[in-house]
Amino acid sequence: MSLVEGNIFGFWMFIVISVVAVWIMTQSKNGKFKVTLRRINGLEALEEAVGRATEMGKPVHYTPGLGDIVDNKAAETFAAMEILTYVADLSAKYSAELIVTIRQPNVFPLAQESVKQSFVAAGKPDMYQENTVRFISSNQDAYTSGVVGILHREQAAANIMAGLFMGESLLLAEAGAQIGAMQIAITASTTQLPFFVAACDYTIIGEELFAAGAYVSQDKVKMGGIAAQDYIKLAVMAVIVLGTILSTSGSDFIRVLLTK
Amino acid sequence: MNWINKLQTIDRRIIYILLLVVCAIPLVKPLGVPLQVTDMTRDVYDIIEGLEPEKDVVLLSFDYAPGAGLDAHIVPVAVVEHLAQRGIKWVSVSFNPEGPMMADLIIKDLESRGFKYGIDFANLGYLAGQETAIRLFALDCLTITTDTRGNKTTDLPVMQGIKTAKDFAFVHQFTSDDPAMWIRQAVDPMGLRYAVGIVTVSVPSAMPYYNSGQIKGLLGGLKAAAEYETLLGKPGRAVAMMDAQSMAHLLIIGFIFLGNLGYFLGKKQGK
Amino acid sequence: MRKEVPMLITFVVAIIVMLSSITTGPLPDVFKNHISPWMTIVSAFAVGLASVNLTRVHGQKISRKRDGWVYSLILLGSMFFYGIFRSYIEINPSNMAAAENYALCYNHILSPLSSGIWACLAFYVASSSYRAFRARSMEATILLVSAVVVMLGAAPIGAQIWSKFPAVQRWLMNVPNMTGQRGIIIGAAIGSFVTALRVLLGIERGHLGGTQ
Repeated sequence: MSLVEGNIFGFWMFIVISVVAVWIMTQSKNGKFKVTLRRINGLEALEEAVGRATEMGKPVHYTPGLGDIVDNKAAETFAAMEILTYVADLSAKYSAELIVTIRQPNVFPLAQESVKQSFVAAGKPDMYQENTVRFISSNQDAYTSGVVGILHREQAAANIMAGLFMGESLLLAEAGAQIGAMQIAITASTTQLPFFVAACDYTIIGEELFAAGAYVSQDKVKMGGIAAQDYIKLAVMAVIVLGTILSTSGSDFIRVLLTK
Repeated sequence: MNWINKLQTIDRRIIYILLLVVCAIPLVKPLGVPLQVTDMTRDVYDIIEGLEPEKDVVLLSFDYAPGAGLDAHIVPVAVVEHLAQRGIKWVSVSFNPEGPMMADLIIKDLESRGFKYGIDFANLGYLAGQETAIRLFALDCLTITTDTRGNKTTDLPVMQGIKTAKDFAFVHQFTSDDPAMWIRQAVDPMGLRYAVGIVTVSVPSAMPYYNSGQIKGLLGGLKAAAEYETLLGKPGRAVAMMDAQSMAHLLIIGFIFLGNLGYFLGKKQGK
Repeated sequence: MRKEVPMLITFVVAIIVMLSSITTGPLPDVFKNHISPWMTIVSAFAVGLASVNLTRVHGQKISRKRDGWVYSLILLGSMFFYGIFRSYIEINPSNMAAAENYALCYNHILSPLSSGIWACLAFYVASSSYRAFRARSMEATILLVSAVVVMLGAAPIGAQIWSKFPAVQRWLMNVPNMTGQRGIIIGAAIGSFVTALRVLLGIERGHLGGTQ
């Protein structure tokens, strides 16, 4: 067994970065590494959105996006599931009706379990109904039209969209805007950001999606993970700067190294 | 004043009706707005122009579903037309379950014009596994043993001499998603000549790869298809639709202007 | 053990899947012949579970004749019709007439319905742009001006109004837009990596049920 040409550098970087990340997370867990996260308005607004729904007597709609948990975008879906757990906790706390719409069949049982556990932990198991978590369709178009229909029929007061989104982002966001819902979008899908920015009250961009779980839970290990992300980013920036300087001066060293 | 408030709160149904009208008119009576061909489109055209009809076989990867709409489908229609004009053979594969159906729509049209399945083109169908499947196929194209019509891959005349993706002269993916999978798994490791046809909204995500030279050509949706039709000298549906798009953009800008006019006049009045 | 066993399975399978795409040797075959079929099987059961949920929720709606029960009837009817039809075709692959009829249904019912949904996007872009692009602040004004320039540069009519619109549009897309996108893509990729690492190592357990 040997590494395929073109993946050697990537493999060793995976090992190094994993060791660094695990070390930082461990140090954070043991209290030797203090991590503070800057304020993210959109995440602070989640509680406001759920509270608004309770006051208006209308439901909160949540979608963890279109991603699956078995493809290369699985991390975004897992991050969205973390946020779902938090939103379910808030819904239980404020006794707000929660509607979760799911596209991917694989995500459906996870979402059911997360929401059920949140309601049980809050001592409100009766809040969980069969149609709290709804599988709509694995077809993107059918899912979109189903969610738009739910938003209009149920007149959701808050529309929270987290995870991976594709072309249907504006359809969902505009439907929410038409019914006057408070909208929070949390996504790393760069192509959909303009639509969310235009139609939503709060848009959380890029890696803030992955920071959300740590932000809302204040869990030390997860916050250590966020710190690890930032340090890795610093290293990447240093490589970019070094690579730019070397390439400009005629050296191929970084490019050759990265493609090894 | 009431009309200032009205400028800021135009009923969306009025916007929708006007949009429908301005899009429909150019489709019935094209305006003929001249089109500028971009380098990204010309690059793909030049690659196909440089291929040798008797020798080269092209791999087309149909990785979009019908839901991606005409924006995704009109691009391969234009590219396949070019390949047909030059007599270049091609083979299609898909890593999206609905991709083979999209390829079949194009194949049916070519067969009605006298081209022969198996000789001029073939549809190898869908290979499950997304990124891993791309790698598997790139390393061993015969991993798909039968095509969508039940023929053995090794028996197809168009597949003779093809063992890995490197045996194709050119790889062109049509996708509504991220082209990075092909780049990661096959283009970079194997040094393939690769271009991508993508929906308009995903063009910015593919631009870094075009700018770095990993993608040799980039066809971005309807506009690129219209440019391609212009290069082929056969302006068709895409060119007509660009007129509709021009009118739609002007209308939207007009409404944005009205909204801002109402906003600033209202603000001035408030002072 | 309820959480430890799934975590162990996650770790082992994730390592195999990762190594199978970057190494030679037995692992690619292990993925192809053992893990990939299991993924298909689990996904199939997930589809079944989701279909059961759909049937129960909409079945209740139909039986209690709640508002919109007719649509629930159409939904369940379509779901079972397509499911049974497709299953018949898979069991009888030599029946070309059935396959052609299925393709007919797909091309003349599902495909136009899909196109209809996406056609709404054009209208929603118009109403959303009208509502959102107001010069309320400096940032909003920059957004507004960029949007107008990009719209004019992208459509052929823009070049007729001012010949430089396409060039300005390309600069906006290739320079400021690309800068932002690359930064976000790199950050998101690193975030994905650390999140995946947390799932791999069992630090992230939300998907196994339970609160934060």
